Amino acid sequence: MEPTALTLAGSTDAALESFLNEEIRHLIAPPPESANSFTALLGLPRTRAIELLHSPETPNSPGVAVSGNPTRPYFNCLGDGGGGFAFAADSELVVPAARYSVFAGEKNDSLETSSQKVKNEPLTESDSNHNSSSQPLVSDPTVENKGQRPPKRKDREKKGKASAKKSKNESSEVAEELPYVHVRARRGQATDSHSLAERARREKINARMKLLQELVPGCSKVALLGTWCIDKPQQHSEGSEISGTATVLDEIINHVQSLQRQVELLSMRLAAVNPRVDFNMDSIFAAENVSLVESNFPSMVMPLMWPDVQVNGSRQQYHQQWQFNSLPPPVWGREQDNHNYVTPENSLLSYDSPANSGFPICRTKSFFISPLQRLCTQEPPKMEL
Amino acid sequence: MAPEDPVTVSPPPPPPPPTPSLKTKIARRFVKSLAEVWTSRKLATEGGVRKRARRIKIAAYSSMARAVGGSRRAWSRALLAKLQGRAKRRCHLRSQRCLGLKRKRAGSRNMVRNEVSGSDKLRRLVPGGKAMDLCNLLEETSHFVQCLATQVKVMQSIADRYSV
Repeated sequence: MEPTALTLAGSTDAALESFLNEEIRHLIAPPPESANSFTALLGLPRTRAIELLHSPETPNSPGVAVSGNPTRPYFNCLGDGGGGFAFAADSELVVPAARYSVFAGEKNDSLETSSQKVKNEPLTESDSNHNSSSQPLVSDPTVENKGQRPPKRKDREKKGKASAKKSKNESSEVAEELPYVHVRARRGQATDSHSLAERARREKINARMKLLQELVPGCSKVALLGTWCIDKPQQHSEGSEISGTATVLDEIINHVQSLQRQVELLSMRLAAVNPRVDFNMDSIFAAENVSLVESNFPSMVMPLMWPDVQVNGSRQQYHQQWQFNSLPPPVWGREQDNHNYVTPENSLLSYDSPANSGFPICRTKSFFISPLQRLCTQEPPKMEL
Repeated sequence: MAPEDPVTVSPPPPPPPPTPSLKTKIARRFVKSLAEVWTSRKLATEGGVRKRARRIKIAAYSSMARAVGGSRRAWSRALLAKLQGRAKRRCHLRSQRCLGLKRKRAGSRNMVRNEVSGSDKLRRLVPGGKAMDLCNLLEETSHFVQCLATQVKVMQSIADRYSV
């Protein structure tokens, strides 16, 4: 039975129903065995179960009440042992029995690990949701009081979706979905094109946020990685977990602002520099290039996709026009042997070809020569490593 | 030198790390415009450090935008458009009621400021961010941050070299 419980996700609704009945009977039979989380979940909240039992009769109140206390009912009562399974016959609680296939499979575990299982539960839940997309919708009719509050289901569906996603991120608030049987049923709408597109969009956004986190040096990834997830209802709630209230977005904004401030400060500084009389473009650029090249050296060895490189200008030594039209990386290495002299220089100064940018190509000036010659002699042996 | 990573592949979806070409592109353009500012008699004689600073800042942003390859990135296009628009506006409105215009804008900005959210702030910071959806905005932001960091490094090295 337990394997079937675990494979619940793939079963049809008929199998689901049969499984449910089997499961309930099995669970009812050995109450002492069911010191596990599953029966604890069902058994514990006698008060809550009674509330749920009465929920069909009072459509409005329990929905509000339970939504008000999402986690407490189940978690607080988890300490209670198995028992009070009288309401197992309630169809409302039958469906969560189906959902908690994890618990069914782990009957022999102790209660101490129940919270962990509860954390595992939404993950498997999400899997089961992906797999059995049509299933929850079909199992809806099995719930007797379905007809009574479809609108409430939809409301709770949104909360369930939000809570489900929250649970994916924060395992602390897992039990939110537990009371919402119907919610999870509706979540089968994940196969809607809209939901799929939304999910894809959200995944894209999350991926980009992670990249941004890596770019921004201030972000401590461990602290913030798990907290950023662009979920519709609660974008900023995770931010409170970090020290202070800065979310990843705020960190990025601060970083961009600090960079812009640095640009301003540096421009002031550069404006204050007295342009010397013997001001030399060569020396500036040469020195600049040297420092840039040296600092960037490891990355230069990467045979990146080489843009069209065109060398123009009245150079003292080379009056040639080199055109590397999207050199494939291996070729670049080979080219080195032939154009040993020029290629490193081109690698240093990749001139914009007209194809790349619409801007006029900057002519190389004569001041490139001497420092770059030095660099050229240095470069090749290292680059060919 | 430090041991090279022979195959440091850049992951496909994100923008590639600032290649040496980007840095040198930025450096080249910026140095050129910087030289212009430094050798410009008009700016030097007017004694306006602030004016020069502003010109240098404009030069920095324009060199950054141009080095990227203006058409490839939305932020570079927007940045260049903004700079050109500002240049035109400066010419035309210098003698006109620019003060009044500035005051009006500042007032409206202050009023709106309280309502902006995180992504709106980001939109304001990144050039051209207002017209993008969040997904593109984040991508543009990451590239913009890269280029901005590179520009800052370039300026820093130049300033270090020439500071007294």
